[in-house]
Amino acid sequence: MDEKELLIFQKGNNSTHTNFIPKLDIEIEKLENIIPRNLLRDDIPIPDVSEVEIVRHYIKLSRMNYGVDSGIYPLGSCTMKYNPKINEYVARLAEFSQIHPLQEENEGTLQLINAISVLLAEITGMDGFTLQPAAGAHGELVGLLIIKKYFEMKGVKKNKIIVPDSAHGTNPASAKMAGFSIIELQSNQNGEVPLDHLEFAMQQGDVAGIMLTNPNTLGVFDREILKITKIVHKHGGLCYYDGANLNPMLGICRPRDMGFDIVHLNLHKTFSTPHGGGGPGSGPVGVIKELIPFLPTPCIITTDEGLVCTQDRDHSIGRIKAFWGNFGIIVRAYVYILSLGAEGLKRVGQIAVLNANYLRIQLQKKYYLPYDRICKHEFVLTDKNLPNEVTTEDIAKRILDYGYYAPTIYFPLIVNGAMMVEPTETESKKSLDNFIEAMYKIYDEAFNEPDRLKSAPLNTPVGRLDAVNAARNPILKE
Amino acid sequence: MDFVSHDDDTIAEMLKVIGVDKIEDLFDDIPKDILINGLNLPEGLSEPDVLMKLKKLGKKNAVYSNSFLGAGCYFHYIPTLVDFVVSRSEFYTSYTPYQAEASQGYLQAIFEYQSVISRLTKMDVANASMYDGSTALAEAAIMASAITRKNQIILIEGIHPEYIEVVKTYCWGQDIKHKIISLEKLDDELNQEIAAVLFQNPSFFGDIEDTSKIVNLIRKKNPNCLIVQVMTDPTCLGILKPPGETDIDIFVAEGQSFGINPSFGGPGLGIFTAKEKFLRKIPGRLVGKTKEINGTLNGFLLTLQAREQHIRREKASSNICTNQALCSLSALIYLVSLGKTGLREIATQNVQKSQFVKNKLKKIPGYEILNTKPTYNEFMVKCPNVSTLIRECKKQDLLPPLQLSKYYPHMKNVVLICVTESNTKESIEKLFNALELANNNTEGTA
Repeated sequence: MDEKELLIFQKGNNSTHTNFIPKLDIEIEKLENIIPRNLLRDDIPIPDVSEVEIVRHYIKLSRMNYGVDSGIYPLGSCTMKYNPKINEYVARLAEFSQIHPLQEENEGTLQLINAISVLLAEITGMDGFTLQPAAGAHGELVGLLIIKKYFEMKGVKKNKIIVPDSAHGTNPASAKMAGFSIIELQSNQNGEVPLDHLEFAMQQGDVAGIMLTNPNTLGVFDREILKITKIVHKHGGLCYYDGANLNPMLGICRPRDMGFDIVHLNLHKTFSTPHGGGGPGSGPVGVIKELIPFLPTPCIITTDEGLVCTQDRDHSIGRIKAFWGNFGIIVRAYVYILSLGAEGLKRVGQIAVLNANYLRIQLQKKYYLPYDRICKHEFVLTDKNLPNEVTTEDIAKRILDYGYYAPTIYFPLIVNGAMMVEPTETESKKSLDNFIEAMYKIYDEAFNEPDRLKSAPLNTPVGRLDAVNAARNPILKE
Repeated sequence: MDFVSHDDDTIAEMLKVIGVDKIEDLFDDIPKDILINGLNLPEGLSEPDVLMKLKKLGKKNAVYSNSFLGAGCYFHYIPTLVDFVVSRSEFYTSYTPYQAEASQGYLQAIFEYQSVISRLTKMDVANASMYDGSTALAEAAIMASAITRKNQIILIEGIHPEYIEVVKTYCWGQDIKHKIISLEKLDDELNQEIAAVLFQNPSFFGDIEDTSKIVNLIRKKNPNCLIVQVMTDPTCLGILKPPGETDIDIFVAEGQSFGINPSFGGPGLGIFTAKEKFLRKIPGRLVGKTKEINGTLNGFLLTLQAREQHIRREKASSNICTNQALCSLSALIYLVSLGKTGLREIATQNVQKSQFVKNKLKKIPGYEILNTKPTYNEFMVKCPNVSTLIRECKKQDLLPPLQLSKYYPHMKNVVLICVTESNTKESIEKLFNALELANNNTEGTA
């Protein structure tokens, strides 16, 4: 990767082009006659930089960054699979990218949203979908607001949500945003939900439901899943499926069949839309028939005149975003699902699990694997048994030196020094083997050259950064 | 098709290493009765077949040569280098920059984005982005409630009607009460229990308000109440006084105007800024500048993560993690491409061109401009025959203005016209043809 680069603000070469603005071809008035002087601004402290300088600057920055197209990206629970280029091409077609959300001639967009809803319903087993949520956490909020509304309509007071301690951090945060308080359930020694504790919590009568991801963040499938959802239902609760880990279940097993009532998906994980360095994503929410009336507005309904969108829905939780969801992302996911079809999606599930287990078996030879069993899409290693006080962070930083991205580290919180590895189905065996080889070398270095690990990374544009100082004295702009 | 790299021999070899006979064995821990035998979906399609299908679908959407529709989503010219830069796969195929040393490029770009937004708005701190303008506004309301420990907010009429709906949904989630009132009623309604006053300026109807007057009124009446301003087309900041110069506590905006395609309303960009003193209450990600632990180089990383959900869980200030990073990159490239000269010129053209249309409109009998305050690039016009106007615009290949009756059923004959720099003189002439025809023509009021 490249060396450091100055900030764009330090590049100002005072070129005052207006290349991107049409020539003004109408009669103008004095600005102050249109808008009073006291409402106008003086300076704009943004430099004028020439196009060539801008392009060089950002191309240089791009070379100081790592993407899936650069190589393996084994970031656990993030499903960093290859992003097919056709998706990008289609999303940029004027017939999709130049459509205004309030224009009338939009039959194509409504049909597309409707069509992907049907496909997602089949994939998850759910009855209805909203494509409105802009990200996974946004979907979680929608799901929880649906639960809140459902009990509000029933006139039942249930204001608690069960979240296992292995859950993604967004789960408790989303539950709180929907006004719930959280009961954290400690996982058992297998990393699974303890049925007796669940039963006890549900018996209290004020629990609205459970949020669960399955396979969970340890990468293992909760074998008691049917009992779990049954217990929750028995006590009048609803079951929420966090779809962040849906990838290994595609074409294998559906959240609905596990007993879930609500599910959110991450189109930017499971359905190949690029993560964009932190979005835009898309977090559709699917529900069982009984909960369809609670979905957010607007929604698309079929009438004699074709598809129309409607705001009217008695029990809806209301609007959760202006206009429609992240449509440009939805287009990409639709292209992906059409490309793969039934067989392709099943192959995703199968190969994602094959790749993860192959990697697990090979890395287990050197690294400690706390939950030693067949995994699904990912697995968790730790720094236990490493010599010379070498830590998970040291390993992660050293991986960067070998030219790869690191696993998710120190998560899930229930495992000390966790390294969460998810290869996805799109990595070749050669790519996996190269990663394994690097991990073996790093393991040897832990014994022979621990200082090198502790001072890693050495081959990146900057060395290990001081996070403590950054939080203590925040510098957030220049 | 699929995107798997293995052939059958490779799969067999890998299964052998794992120590199982067949792939199905890897799913042995799933209860047998919930394993499915494939999905009931069509067969996969090749690239040309997918393309054909999608192009056919796309034909059912109309693409117009020019637009007079805004109302929260705008057609501004996007420099070609914006898409060129965001199409670099090192950017768009990366994840949230957790491993800072391998993500310096993106982290620096986000730091530059935060800086450029701060410079444009003159607000102390900008975060790395929110989903869109509406959710940014809703999160601002929640943040204000958390800071003031009060659970009532006031929304001033003139906020985008869809934003109001979103704020209502979020507030219902947290049991925050809201009231929607006109600006004139603010003095009466503002009491000590109010956490925040939210207003849009320029308003949904196009009016430019004197922010300092609103701020003075609120400060005098309730100094603890937070003042939140929202904006749907921040290109106006090229000429209008920035919120940071008028003592706004939280300023949010929809950033779609900054180099992002309409795409049927998403993805857009939620701009979120606040005063320094609220730094640790801001939702979303922040990128900070720091130094190497054992060196002298500066670098960038995600900071103040103790506010965030993955550490604080249910005590986090918000649940947002994935935001609109790539859109913030578009906005950054857009803003630096224009520079101060271009930003001023864009805003000037928006004002001048809409003023040109307004002046011309005044000369056509039957039409009435309803705004009494200065406007930026949108304004309300009462029309003699809206449906003919809409039809004639479409005939002229123009995306017609918004019929305000969509949101306000009582405003039957009023349209909200949006004129930007991308409206050519020719398209303006076409609009006037349509306006004239809709004036002479009394039939077609279906």
